Formats: sequence, C-alpha cells, structure tokens
Amino acid sequence: MEDDAVEEADLLRAHRAGDPHAFARLYDRYDRACFHLIRRLLGGAHADAAEDLCQETWIAVSRNAASFDPAKASFAAWLFTIARHKTFDHFRRQRVAILATEPGEAAAMVPDPQPSPLEQVQSRQRAEEIVAAVEALPLEQRGVFVMFADGGLSLEEIAEVTGVAVETAKSRLRYARAKLRQSLAGERSTHV
Amino acid sequence: MSDHDAAQGPIDKAYAQAEAMLDDEAARAARRARVLGAVAREVGTAPTVSALPKRPVSWAGGWLAAASVAGVSTLVAFQLAGPPGMQRSSPAAETPVAAAPAPAPSPTTAPAVDAVAPAPPAGPRARMTPQADVAAPPPLALPAPPSQTTGAPTAAPAPAAPQAPADSEALIVTGEAAPPPSAARAARAESSMAQAPASPAVVAARLHAAAAAGRLADLTALLAQGTAVDAPDREGETALMKSILANHPAAAALLRRYGASLERTNRAGVSAREMAASIDDPELNRALGLAP
Repeated sequence: MEDDAVEEADLLRAHRAGDPHAFARLYDRYDRACFHLIRRLLGGAHADAAEDLCQETWIAVSRNAASFDPAKASFAAWLFTIARHKTFDHFRRQRVAILATEPGEAAAMVPDPQPSPLEQVQSRQRAEEIVAAVEALPLEQRGVFVMFADGGLSLEEIAEVTGVAVETAKSRLRYARAKLRQSLAGERSTHV
Repeated sequence: MSDHDAAQGPIDKAYAQAEAMLDDEAARAARRARVLGAVAREVGTAPTVSALPKRPVSWAGGWLAAASVAGVSTLVAFQLAGPPGMQRSSPAAETPVAAAPAPAPSPTTAPAVDAVAPAPPAGPRARMTPQADVAAPPPLALPAPPSQTTGAPTAAPAPAAPQAPADSEALIVTGEAAPPPSAARAARAESSMAQAPASPAVVAARLHAAAAAGRLADLTALLAQGTAVDAPDREGETALMKSILANHPAAAALLRRYGASLERTNRAGVSAREMAASIDDPELNRALGLAP
C-alpha cells in the first residue's frame, strides 16, 4: 500500500508538472471504486448526479494535487474522502436529510452462509439484487461497506475518511453485513 | 472485534463481483473522456485562474489607464475631427486635460489623466495590450456582425464611474476597447483609410480564443488571413492545443488542415498529441488524424 501511495504521489506530481498521462493512469486505477462509492452513497433517487459528482471529485483531486501527502493517508483514502464530501455536499444542496446510523439498531446477526450464490454472482439479476440491497442500507453503513468491500480500504482508513473511531467503523461494517445477509437471504428464499 | 471483521467476507466479495458485473463499459469510457477532458481543461486554464488574484491590482491601473486613454483619445479625436459643436473647448483643447480645472470628472480619473497627460496616447495602450492577450481577447472583428465590433457603443466614456462587472476578463477587454464614441468613430475612419493590421500577438490571441470556443467561422477567417497557425500564447499553448483541451474536434481538424503541429510542446513540455492522448476521445482522435 505504501509503495502504491508513493507511486500515486509521483503520478500527482507528474500531473502537476504537465504530464497528461499521469492523471489518466491515476484515474484508471481508481475510477471504478470512486464511481461505485459515489453511486451507492447517492442511492437510486439521486443516481443521475453520480457522473457530475464523479467529475467534480476528480477535478478536486487535480486542483488539490499539491496537498496530497502519502505519509498521512493513502491515495484511495484521500480520494474517497473527497468523493464522500462531494456526495454529502450534494445531499445538503438537495436538502436531503443525512440520517445517522443507529448503533443499537438490532440487525439480526445472521451467521455467514457457506459459499453460495452470494460468493459467485452468477447472473446479472442477482448482481442487481445485491446492489439494491447495499443501496437499502443506512447511509453511513453503506459508505463503510462499499469502501471496505469494493474500495479496498482498511477499517482504519475508513475511520479516517468518515471521521469516526475505528470501533465505530467496525460496528457499521458488521451491521451492514448482517443486514445484507438478512435481506439477501430473504430474497433468495422468495426466488426459490 | 475479531479479525474476521477486518477481512473480506463472502458478502463483500459478492458485492464487488456484482459491481464488476454491472459495470457499463461504454458509460465508463464516456465518463473517462468527460472527466479527463474536464481535468485537462482545468489544467489548461490554471495559469489564467492563478493569474486572477493579480488582476485586482492591475484592475485599478487598468481603469485608470482606460480612463486616461479615453480622455487622451477624446482630445485626439477633437483635434482630428474638429467637431463644430465643441467650440467651447477649442482653446482649452490645445492644453492637456489635466490643466483644465473644471472637467475633472471624478477622483478616480483625475490622477490617471495627470499621470498620462505628458505621455503620448500610445503609452497606456501599450501597457494594456499584454493583459488583454492573457485574458479573453476581444471578439473577432473580421467579417463579424455589427454586434461583435468591440462593444464600443456600450462602453462608458472615460468619466463614467466603473461599474464592477462580474467578469474581470470582460472588464479588461472593455478597458482596452473603451474609447468614447467620437474617438471610436475617428479610429474607425482612420482604420478604414489605413487598414492598419492588428498586431500578431492580438491576432494570435483571437485565434486561440476562437479555437478554445470552437468558433469555426472565426478560425477560418483568421487562418485564411495567414495567421500563424502555431503561434503560442504565454503558456506555450497553440490554437490546436486550445481546441483539444476544450474538446472541439471540428476546430482541431480545421487547424490541422492548416498545418497545426501535433508535436510542438507547451511550456510544460506537453505536446498536442499527448493532450489528445490523455483525453482519448475517439472523435477528437479522428479529427486529428490519430485514429482511423
């Protein structure tokens, strides 16, 4: 991760020096994860804003390239922080209430199922169900889950990005997983 | 909390796979072109943006200079045209405006007139020209419609108090093109007689502006005049680079037909070819002859 961070810092430096390939390399490396995070945080009701927010995020990366410090955070954590802020700014502009996650929310702790269709997504329909279930999660749980599962961030990094304690990030992830298992298990049973 | 929480579980992997499966490659490619194009434009305009904080400083000077230019131009116009209706100023007109006690119109213009009075009229104009080159150049006045002729009718005469416009570039342009109507008329009469060509720097700035805006008619007119197609601006960027950064394939194709170089580099060492590669837009690449 540290090597990646150094290399990404180099790419940002090269970008600032006018190397047009450097930013494209950086973009190609993180575009998917960044877009997925924005898209899932937005949910279905605001999906149309994802492209614009994604562009705003990358422009912010370009503008603030000089402020990235690999010693303080990984590039992914820095990027996701920007993306998350952009998304939350969008919610504020749209006057969407950002509901805090209830830590005591009684998510049923369904045990991990054995490797199953969940592990091997076999159909587009199933993939859509999974994504829909993720979008149904409370916002903060959703963000933690997406950054962890798809963005590859560690819990420590997620805690940094979201400005909470690591324990809080962990519990959000646990609740998110539990809810997903529950909702997907329910959907599976209805399909059978 | 167990290590289990910090490791990728089946549901995490399933979600990542689901996202991968649902990825729309066409949409992603379009997004890539759009985002990288926007970033390239951002980088391309960065010098202008970074120059903005300096403008307020030059602004004050710009207004003073504009006011003084207008004042001196008025004098010149009176001398050239000898307006019959202006006899009241005929004796005083021979003297510098600063010497006239009454007409000092506002505290802001008076010092400017004082400062400029001893200098020939070309002085302040010469100081303003580079600014105008960096900012948006005035609209093309070639075969342009009447509305594009520098907006002189709307430009305030010198004594008018400067209205803070929303756009500083507009102000700079206005400052350059703000001689009073009489002076503008005299200048037009002069230019129609002498057909004095604009300086190469001004023409190049017009070419750059037309390329960045994708104004094909203006580009065609300028290029047909023999304007240097690869003339760089202060950042070393050519019109072709401007058209690429603004993603105007038709303008880029036109410039290429006039021999614009893909290899010439800007001051950062980046060529037009590399800029196009970073944007990687199929239509733009085709326009540049980089893709079939």
